[in-house]
Amino acid sequence: MEYTPVLRSEWLKIRTLRSLPGALLALFAATTAFSAIAGVSETSAPDFDPLFTALSGVIPGQIAAVAFGAMAVSSEFHPGALRLTLAAVPRRGRWFAAKAAVIAVPALAVGMLTALAALLVARAGLGTEADGLSAGEQVRGVVGCGVYLMLMALFAAGLAALLRSGVATLSLMVPFILVVSFVIGDATGTVADFLPDKAGQLVLHETYEGTLGPWSGLAVTALWTAAALLLGAWRLRRRDA
Amino acid sequence: MTSIDIQDVTKEFGGRRAVDHLTVRVLPGRVTGFLGPNGAGKSTTMRLVLGLDRPTAGRATLGGRPYAALREPLRHVGALLDAQAAHGSRTARDHLRVLAASNRIPDRRVDEVLEETGLASVARRRVRTYSLGMRQRLGIAAALLGDPEVVMLDEPSNGLDPEGIVWIRQVLRRLAAEGRTVLVSSHLMNETASFADHLVVLGRGRLLADTPMRDFIHARVRPLVRVRTTDPVALKSALARHGHDAVEHEDGHWTVHHARVDDIGRIASAAGVPVLELAAEEATLEQAYFDLTGAETEFAAQPQEV
Repeated sequence: MEYTPVLRSEWLKIRTLRSLPGALLALFAATTAFSAIAGVSETSAPDFDPLFTALSGVIPGQIAAVAFGAMAVSSEFHPGALRLTLAAVPRRGRWFAAKAAVIAVPALAVGMLTALAALLVARAGLGTEADGLSAGEQVRGVVGCGVYLMLMALFAAGLAALLRSGVATLSLMVPFILVVSFVIGDATGTVADFLPDKAGQLVLHETYEGTLGPWSGLAVTALWTAAALLLGAWRLRRRDA
Repeated sequence: MTSIDIQDVTKEFGGRRAVDHLTVRVLPGRVTGFLGPNGAGKSTTMRLVLGLDRPTAGRATLGGRPYAALREPLRHVGALLDAQAAHGSRTARDHLRVLAASNRIPDRRVDEVLEETGLASVARRRVRTYSLGMRQRLGIAAALLGDPEVVMLDEPSNGLDPEGIVWIRQVLRRLAAEGRTVLVSSHLMNETASFADHLVVLGRGRLLADTPMRDFIHARVRPLVRVRTTDPVALKSALARHGHDAVEHEDGHWTVHHARVDDIGRIASAAGVPVLELAAEEATLEQAYFDLTGAETEFAAQPQEV
């Protein structure tokens, strides 16, 4: 069967579940709001990084991106739903690829828009403190932030397919992002640099140290995401629906 | 036209055998009732045909092709497996549009099946607000969406109101009359008897019967005549003269086994026995079914020790 109709069907699924566009709206609102607050807060810390301060709203905001990816997949795992889906599209690999695409594209678009808005709002608060940022650094921050949010949404989607549950995915990822990564996050130069969220967040910083740079950091996150998606696809293809 | 071919299919779930060397062919142009006690493997068989579960051994095909090989499968096979499958937060119309889009079925067809299943007026309501009967109708609408040659429905009368039950009966009859292959599982015997031409009966995953419904009943249930009279003594002796044995029941009526109503009427008339009531007791599918499955029912109540 052809790929385009499957893509259209999956895109219609995203649009017709109110909670999914809602999650993307929450991503935009939360990130922009937290960045605005960071912009007007005290900025005298010695390791002050104007780019990361401006985009720091992403740290809490990414939970909405994770929820978007997890819910888009977990809506297929309430009783009987996956059977209905796979009766319409028996090619499971093709179906999962379409699902990933309709998660990736809106997450990337809303992610970049969100990063741009957060940067502008925060810079209004930072004033001259952010004057040192070059145009290239800001473009890198906005594009990289969009890619990072897309990768986190896909990571959650892969995990949800593997665990067959949105609740399990969120109860694994949210504490991880908020607690584990935060606690061991300052220990740079260790394996902590290679955690899926920590590595990808390097692209949000003006300056960075350690083994990974902004793009190689994103590549590490992409590897984590690819692994999660492949495991999810493997479980999907192997199991009875 | 397309038939469903199940060839020596076995399906095991962790050691428990749900379907056991099943070979059956479901033919077009008639309604095939799919019967069996709970856990007999009816739903599993349907999932195997749809390629949702993989058989441990054997293969199931539709018109010679496995389900997964069908291009735009909804245009060939429509199935209702679980009325709860629709997402509660979507409207019924959006639910069907999503399915239609994946198989390039136009939205016009979505409105047609909504009309056909009587859901047109509530099509823009969220599925969460639907009663079980309405969800069942939505499931049937989804099955009919692609105008398929093969229709498989798992317990379609579940939750339907009396009007809905009459409606589904007519739908099934019409689909078969149009030459489609119709397989309908049910645990309601009287209901199945009202629409099925042919029966496939499973017990513990094995095929117990694959016969026309009339043959199935007549092979298993003895014909019976019910008669009521004001003169039981005369009746009994008249019947005995013709070699019939009458049994009296508590409420005063008599039953005669292995007899036709025409014969009993003539005998009573010739003997001058006043007859208040004379009727052939139709053998029911239920009686025939229990005769067959009595030994096979996995969850049958154990006989009480006295």
